[in-house]
Amino acid sequence: MIENRPGLNILSHLVLILGVVVVGLPLWVAFVASTHTATDFMSGTIPLLPGPHLIENYSRMLDSGVSTSGTPPVARMMLNSLIMALAIALGKIAISILSAFAIVYFRFPLRGLAFWCIFVTLMLPVEVRIVPTFQVVAGLGLLNSYAGLSIPLIASATATFLFRQVFLTMPDELVEAARIDGAGPMKFFRDILLPLSRTNMAALFVILFIYGWNQYLWPLLITTDAQYYTIVAGIKRMADAVDGLPQWHLVMATAVMAMLPPVAVVIGMQKLFVKGLVETEK
Amino acid sequence: MASITLDNVGKVYPGGTRAIGDVNIQIADGEFIVLVGPSGCGKSTLLRMVAGLETITDGEIRIGDKVVNKVEPADRDIAMVFQNYALYPHMSVRQNLAYGLKNRRTPKAEIDRRVNDAAEILQIGQFLDRKPRALSGGQRQRVAMGRAIVREPAAFLFDEPLSNLDAKLRVTMRLEIKELQKRLGTTSLYVTHDQLEAMTLADRLVVLNAGRIEQIGTPLEVYRKPASTFVAGFIGSPAMNLIDARAVPYLPGTAHAGTVGIRPEDLTVAADGPIEMQVQAVEELGAQRLVHGHTAGEAITITMPPTAPLSDTLRLTAAQDKLHLFDRQSGARIE
Repeated sequence: MIENRPGLNILSHLVLILGVVVVGLPLWVAFVASTHTATDFMSGTIPLLPGPHLIENYSRMLDSGVSTSGTPPVARMMLNSLIMALAIALGKIAISILSAFAIVYFRFPLRGLAFWCIFVTLMLPVEVRIVPTFQVVAGLGLLNSYAGLSIPLIASATATFLFRQVFLTMPDELVEAARIDGAGPMKFFRDILLPLSRTNMAALFVILFIYGWNQYLWPLLITTDAQYYTIVAGIKRMADAVDGLPQWHLVMATAVMAMLPPVAVVIGMQKLFVKGLVETEK
Repeated sequence: MASITLDNVGKVYPGGTRAIGDVNIQIADGEFIVLVGPSGCGKSTLLRMVAGLETITDGEIRIGDKVVNKVEPADRDIAMVFQNYALYPHMSVRQNLAYGLKNRRTPKAEIDRRVNDAAEILQIGQFLDRKPRALSGGQRQRVAMGRAIVREPAAFLFDEPLSNLDAKLRVTMRLEIKELQKRLGTTSLYVTHDQLEAMTLADRLVVLNAGRIEQIGTPLEVYRKPASTFVAGFIGSPAMNLIDARAVPYLPGTAHAGTVGIRPEDLTVAADGPIEMQVQAVEELGAQRLVHGHTAGEAITITMPPTAPLSDTLRLTAAQDKLHLFDRQSGARIE
């Protein structure tokens, strides 16, 4: 801002601090809870400072998990989530970049129809088509498998549109220069389009990885074998303690761990992510 | 190296719009041909048809002896320089130059030799490992030309390559292109809307208007004997005065002509000149002075030495052999 009034400065800081508190407090409570024993948390007053049981709680969850809730160790669920999120993010990028390539650079019959079909799928998120999709996946025998976890979530209209926009901004001369240089369509795709969409792919990867990691309803539905539980769905199962109090300290420890990979991805790819969203020069 | 022949070439868009009609050009081996015309006259389309980037709907284009109507751009043995350079932004200059050769499976040693040769000719050796974005406009243009040179093609196609450069650089690059073409002796087809660029570069000019050829000739031929009022008004700066013959009945030959053309520099001030000009505006260009005015309702412009005396009314004369006469209906030149 160009104005330099102390009142405004204080106000804007106040708003920002408030925002941080609103977001940060639950995270802090979750972290604090994960460092206490079960009884500390049930005593009626929620402790606001970390307790001494941090390592004990976390290592217990990573190694063995909570046997009463029927969930495998957190390490196993993290691995499942990681496989699913990576498969979804990479699969979505691969499929959507290819469909965008076809839509933008090729004239084929029913091209308009294909485009609209992709467009229409925007109206059909997983939650809407979950029963028929379950039917199909079950029919294919993909229940309790990584393929079943990821494949139905891979098709993506949003990502296709994003790449379509990216490709539309590529100057025509670049395509023509490549044609004169003797690059066929796939060579053009590999040598020129892919490297030039690198930052967009990175930005999309961040978004899609988090999307995949946070999937809840679908994994909950199609996994009955504990070996394939994902972490987000697993937390829910842990919290649903039958015949007893939920072991909140352990649930919170799991939740904190579940938050770490997306955070790592965002921080690690921050630069590319921002570049991919704002970069326009081709 | 090859000749290029355009034989009755035409292009009609699917909607029925005719972009190019009946174009016949014979380009000799090593010749520098400039296609010039106003925006939308079809000059770029014609060039792109030679390149293979636009389909040809009528006639035949031959490079050497080979009819190339249906040949892919990469197989036409041509190289093109684009207005916005069209360099691959993610590749270094060296990779940009080598890309086409790599796709043609040229041996590595041969690629290196050609890239280094081109870099030396264009003096871009020190930029070979930079990315295009680290180069200035002029340097990028050199790289774009380098990409054409390394292919050692039968013909260079230039699509307004200097339009994105500033005025000063344009003049130096113009000269360099001319020298380079002479040195390499490669047949070249060059598109521009800048008539000065066209005049200075061309062995022969092709003046296009509305998708048709108005005139083909050496720059001096076109300048001295414009074939139509369009060419007369387009080539030459400041533009030729085109006066309705009825406004100047006292000039010789005006009886059967519709339009009289006189170049501004051919009109001289003389006390007993037949043309009376009312002066309206004066532009000082330093070396000369442009005087705008009118006679009998027709606008005319003359050039004068900057020191010559000015008055509200000037009497002008023009030598008889400096008059260009054009038909009223067709605008064609009358000899």
